[in-house]
Amino acid sequence: MLAIWIGAIDQGLAYAGLALGVYLTLRVLNFADITVDGSFALGGGSAALLLSQQVAPPLALLVAVALGALAGTATGLIHTRLGVNDLFAGILTTTGLYSITLRLMGRSNIPLTDLQLALDRLPDLGLGSDGRWLVALLLVVVGLVGGLALLLATDLGLALRAIGNNAVMARSNGISTRRGLTLGIAAGNGLVALAGALVAMYQGFADVTMGIGSLILGLGAVIVGESVLRPRTVPQALVAVVLGSVLFRAMIALALQLGMEPVDLKLATALLLLAALGLGRLRIPGVSDPGGGR
Amino acid sequence: MSLEIQDLAWGHPLPGGGWRQLFEGFNLSCPAGQFVVVIGSNGSGKSTLLNLVAGTLRASGGSVRLEGRELLRLPEHRRARAIGRVMQNPLDGTAPGLTIAENLRLAECRRRSLFSPRALLGLHPSRADRRRYGELLEMLGLPLADRLETPVGQLSGGQRQTISLVMASLGEPRLLLLDEHTAALDPRAEATVMELTDRLVARLGTTALMVTHSLEQALRHGDRLLMLQEGRLIGDWSAAERKQFNPAALRELYGNATVQQDPPSPG
Repeated sequence: MLAIWIGAIDQGLAYAGLALGVYLTLRVLNFADITVDGSFALGGGSAALLLSQQVAPPLALLVAVALGALAGTATGLIHTRLGVNDLFAGILTTTGLYSITLRLMGRSNIPLTDLQLALDRLPDLGLGSDGRWLVALLLVVVGLVGGLALLLATDLGLALRAIGNNAVMARSNGISTRRGLTLGIAAGNGLVALAGALVAMYQGFADVTMGIGSLILGLGAVIVGESVLRPRTVPQALVAVVLGSVLFRAMIALALQLGMEPVDLKLATALLLLAALGLGRLRIPGVSDPGGGR
Repeated sequence: MSLEIQDLAWGHPLPGGGWRQLFEGFNLSCPAGQFVVVIGSNGSGKSTLLNLVAGTLRASGGSVRLEGRELLRLPEHRRARAIGRVMQNPLDGTAPGLTIAENLRLAECRRRSLFSPRALLGLHPSRADRRRYGELLEMLGLPLADRLETPVGQLSGGQRQTISLVMASLGEPRLLLLDEHTAALDPRAEATVMELTDRLVARLGTTALMVTHSLEQALRHGDRLLMLQEGRLIGDWSAAERKQFNPAALRELYGNATVQQDPPSPG
């Protein structure tokens, strides 16, 4: 029983990069980015390919992040240079990424059964392999949250926050909203691709379809985290998003425990998110707006 | 000349078809440090002129030089590095989710790119930044020095416009553009903001263009008064010449301009 919950926490932490990436694009930049569905699979697929070729895991993760950032850059450029609406720009990139990921992987699924991650150097907390994963993922997530919190507290981070808050004000204060959006979307998708790679490593395989519904998962984590912690500062919001990712996974684990069929998982996820949006009366720019229903 | 506008051209399509050429061969020269007040009826081109200078709108021809540097080829954010702007809507000039200190920090950094490696050095606004902003607000007599950590969205419209004005004055602007920046304020907040405007313009010694509908403001503030009608200058008075007007006389002139420009014939 405990293993199920530890597994849910591990998965929540593995998906935390996805939630942080969605937070960065949606909450910080106010940009509804569908690219995450494609960049998650791209990160997972590219990392799996490299790991299956015996490339060192840190390098595989770095390549996944770089490819994700490249995908985000494509969306950013399509939106800012060609004036394509944010949703369409993301859809275009994601559609293209499916073929690119499939080409890259060479097949639709890459198993990672013989993966050697040297996790045995980490303490297992008396929980075996899941405990080691917990420690490893916690280290990664703490690093991500700390790094992002620092980034968003610099002048560059302030500029990104200003763009999402009031683009008119940002431009009238010398900030290039084009460059900022492109940079922020690239960073967000880099995080998402990292999550894809970590999830592939954790579950022991990568599949070209693993990104479907990623945006909803990330959004769910952001909403659940924000409604639980009600953050007032950026670092609090980042912690809330990670907590949301873990809670969201725990809810899914609970639903499975209660006898829900795995085939209904996506529907349950969507309903869960709808309930959070409706009951929480959260104002998510571009997603929900109380009183905005027509 | 600090600001030199030559042969400025801009037009827009009319809703029912046709074209309205608002500016054609428009010229204006402002010496350094001059505080210019621009009046004119709705549609006369006052705000459009400011938007063309700021880059929010793209001129179809002509030249706008600020201290000898051509602005028209630069995108809006590059022009903003030399221009402080306060917009009509208090909601436009500030980022509501950011604190007063964070908004001031962004304005202070206006002259440099925030997407360079240098922008990653240090956490801002730092304690030293906050101390500086607190001193600035105190020196300007604004009761906001102890609210630097308050999100700007929690301030009143007048307070937000005050912060916008302080922001416009930061980062060594070479030009201030004030677009009906008291229009949305109550009389008390308007008086506060205008008093601050005079002090900031005098303190900075910067060329300023202020658009207003208030004839009281037009008679009381600035070194020079311009009247626009249909994209043309129909009045240009120095502060001394402006004394010939009392509010009623200026209102009459203003009213005539309003009648004459209405309605523009389509096509």
